[in-house]
Amino acid sequence: MLKQWILLAALIVASPPLLAQAPVPAASTQGQQVAPKQSPEEWQRKHDEALKYHSLEDFYNAMKKDAAGKPKLPLPDWSGLWTADYYDTFRDCLGGGGCYFKPGPTGASPKLTPVALAELKRGMEMTAKGQVYDENLSNCGPAGYPRWLTEPFMREEIVTPNETWLLTEQMNEIRRVYTDGRDHTAKIDRYPLPEGDSVGFWDGQKLVIHTDQLDARSMGRNLPSQSEQMETVEIWEKTDPKTITVDVWLFDPRLYLEPWYVRRLYALVPNPKKDLRLQYWDCHENPNNDVTKAPDGDTNFNGFDFSGKKNDKSKQ
Amino acid sequence: MRNNLRGPVLVMALLVLSPLVVEAHHGGSMFEPQKEITVTGVVKEFQYTNPHSWLLVDVTNKDGSVTTWGFEAEGPGVMMRNGIHKGDLAPGTKVTVTAHPMKDGTPAGSWVKAVRGDGVVFDPRFRGTETPNDAPAPNSSTAPPAH
Repeated sequence: MLKQWILLAALIVASPPLLAQAPVPAASTQGQQVAPKQSPEEWQRKHDEALKYHSLEDFYNAMKKDAAGKPKLPLPDWSGLWTADYYDTFRDCLGGGGCYFKPGPTGASPKLTPVALAELKRGMEMTAKGQVYDENLSNCGPAGYPRWLTEPFMREEIVTPNETWLLTEQMNEIRRVYTDGRDHTAKIDRYPLPEGDSVGFWDGQKLVIHTDQLDARSMGRNLPSQSEQMETVEIWEKTDPKTITVDVWLFDPRLYLEPWYVRRLYALVPNPKKDLRLQYWDCHENPNNDVTKAPDGDTNFNGFDFSGKKNDKSKQ
Repeated sequence: MRNNLRGPVLVMALLVLSPLVVEAHHGGSMFEPQKEITVTGVVKEFQYTNPHSWLLVDVTNKDGSVTTWGFEAEGPGVMMRNGIHKGDLAPGTKVTVTAHPMKDGTPAGSWVKAVRGDGVVFDPRFRGTETPNDAPAPNSSTAPPAH
């Protein structure tokens, strides 16, 4: 036990210079929008809701049954561009799943398996040494879900009567949520996917989603890896004209002893001139961005070519 | 008891260390975050690309030779939100760039700010809701000049 506390004390003592070294993004200091606050009591109530059920799928099915008896409402207007990086910071959850392993607003920590604890410890050691190669993003792969919920940059939520598409700019990741009553993909046809398979229903103007069929991958840079048993429930709602709030419950027996709950917030990106658009993200268009993993886990550029026009493929 | 405490200790430690990891595509470990360099030159090319943009600047050395420096920033989505358009830094434009240099001495760095010849400041990193679309632009001639 003493060793663990010594480790923590050392980390805290070491943190000011480490924090000073971090290239902190301007969002954390320049007019960041104040996030709607969730009270510890509400967080605890939400957290405990899922604990009453055998699985998150059972939790989802119970909400679906309850919603079936309610009157239908018009679909909500979620048009516009949205982002997590006005409400969130890299210190909190932005840019890679950290909040999936941190204490919630009550101070309660997620109940983690020994495997998750060991991977967290190893990840922290790597991070402390600056070895932050990302097996997914560094080589231009998708962040994958549920890390997807934490990524910065712009998003669009496309609501249609039978499907809702949830898009992020980064790596062009798209989640399709089927709300036409279909079930998950048949077991015989299932194979692991970065974004998984999502089905949902509308409870008034709240979109409730169950996601599974996910692949095994890192939850974030130097964070533990989820297994193919990861499943989640989300409730998406536009809680004010400039905010979409998402309540998320996640469970993976590889990582958690019981479901964990987090809240994600997306802010409307001001776009009065309509000049902002979600554009295709070609991660390999500029060779100056190519990186490799060093033997020690660090990240290195492949080598630059500043002769010019290297991002114009017609001239290569 | 030891096992009971191990989890909370680790997650608390995670709170302390997680801000180290901030860049979307690659980590920032190739740059020297505690150092800043400032160079003046002319824009060779503004590579307005994902996941990171690169501003290539030709800098004339004391001996008359020219070195092309590369300055890395966020991709076009963040650039646009910060009011930085590809045409703002056209080839031939005089610019003074402040950056965190590469650790290995390569003439490149992580772009902190660029000041165009007419005094307009370009900050390519994340910012909050006060984007140029609904608030005074950071890239305006009223912005403070670089030092």
